[in-house]
Amino acid sequence: MRLPTVEDIEKRIPRPEDFESRARGTELTARVGTALGIAFGICFLTGMWSHVQYTQPGWLPIGPQPTQLYRLTQGTHVLSGIAAIPLLLVKLWSVFPRLFIRPPTSSARELVIEVLERASIGALVGSSVFMLASGLLNIAQWYPWEFSFRRTHEAVAWVAIGSLIVHIAVKLPVIQRAYTASIEHPEAHLDPDAISRRTVLRGALAAAGLAVVLTAGQTVPFLRRFSVFAVRDGQGPQGLPINRTAKAAGAAEAAQDPAFVLEVVVGDRTVTLDRDQLLALPQRTHRLPIACVEGWSRSATWTGPALRDLLALAGGEPGSDVTIRSLQTRGAFGVSRLPAAYVEDYRTLLALELNGETLSLDHGYPCRIIAPNRPGVFQTKWVQRLEVKA
Amino acid sequence: MSEPASSSTSSTTALRGLLIAVGVGFGLWGLWLMRDFTSEQLISTGTWLAGGIVLHDAILAPVTVGLGLAASRLLPGHFRAATSLAFLLWATLTVVFVPVLSGQGGKPDNDTILGRPYLLSWLVLTGVLAGSAVIAARRRRRVRHAAPAEPPPA
Repeated sequence: MRLPTVEDIEKRIPRPEDFESRARGTELTARVGTALGIAFGICFLTGMWSHVQYTQPGWLPIGPQPTQLYRLTQGTHVLSGIAAIPLLLVKLWSVFPRLFIRPPTSSARELVIEVLERASIGALVGSSVFMLASGLLNIAQWYPWEFSFRRTHEAVAWVAIGSLIVHIAVKLPVIQRAYTASIEHPEAHLDPDAISRRTVLRGALAAAGLAVVLTAGQTVPFLRRFSVFAVRDGQGPQGLPINRTAKAAGAAEAAQDPAFVLEVVVGDRTVTLDRDQLLALPQRTHRLPIACVEGWSRSATWTGPALRDLLALAGGEPGSDVTIRSLQTRGAFGVSRLPAAYVEDYRTLLALELNGETLSLDHGYPCRIIAPNRPGVFQTKWVQRLEVKA
Repeated sequence: MSEPASSSTSSTTALRGLLIAVGVGFGLWGLWLMRDFTSEQLISTGTWLAGGIVLHDAILAPVTVGLGLAASRLLPGHFRAATSLAFLLWATLTVVFVPVLSGQGGKPDNDTILGRPYLLSWLVLTGVLAGSAVIAARRRRRVRHAAPAEPPPA
């Protein structure tokens, strides 16, 4: 008995022509790929828009208007990513036989080109699956990894969009030819029982649409009853979901301490107010959304003093950024910086009430920040200190 | 896979070169953003990047090809197209719903997340797609029996 040789093994590996389905083909791949490329483009741009909310570069006019902007961009980000999953799976199915193309042996130059193209496809597939899988798990607050989600999701996004641009450039002539030809296989009539390419294309688009409708209710109110697979159903105490509880943030004890006072610090001047004194200030009521980076959002009615009125008590002038400190002892975003453009807006509140009731502990009792057009992670709960550098 | 030079004009060649340069630049920028990752973070990121390719190319795709082969051999002809479409919808949607079906994620002290009966919804989805495939297949057989055989294309 002899050991199998390389040739023996090679013979057992399928070849592209061994795959039977006539539904596969570049005419289908190009069309599904176009839809997928559009979804990726939207997902990339809205994702980068979310990332700049964290750094707030001075050259970008990010502010409290339009009120619903972040809700719209982040909801779109998550939904375009969800729509991309069925499209990516069908796209990969349509080109799977190409994985088994044997490397060219005729010239070293062709071999180098083949290796480079395979490397770019590997980067594209690996980063695409990474982006969609990590995003999908993150919105369910499932983190089976050791990396920082936000930073890695941002870095790999550049790899994904970069390798997508390379892929489009390499395939441009193939795409052009695929669109000039009829979508169906010229021999499709030989097997009339098989699924047609047109049906696969429509099925892929339908799957993407269904995936969106079945999850979009977490941010689109009228779809709430249809979105049976949404991570959030829009419900929660006082009519609003919670991202992180007071217990999880290590804020429960300090937040319920009857001796709680809010510190308002402007330069070297400090004013302290307990909750009754905050309630005695002029109150404003506004309807503003919580728009979470995880893609869910819901509007609510908030009541409390305007932040700029509070700062004025300590002699604060409009036009300065405010550092907000939370009572929380665990987790990220215990300190956030609110740019001056938000502070100036009278709708930016230190909320004491939510939907007509005293703010519940998990919504940020005794007081929390609510500002228009801000990612939810910066709507700091259990606020302990507001600080303006002189 | 190089294309014959005659198929592309010099302006599309220039456009393709520019796109490749931009794409490579974006990719390198992504790698640069990871420059201060710890080795633990880099290993985890690399595992997930490679794991996605392996999961698809070594498991999901071969299983799909195998099911397709089995279906084309075992199912009556009028069932094939309807079953293929139902499987496309069922399989891709199931992948989208893996996190909510997994029982993982969320936090025990927060009942405002993952609060819906996802398994029940998935069973209904599976039943509706399977039922639709059977109805569509039966209709296809009826239509074929009613219509005279098509002449072969000229």
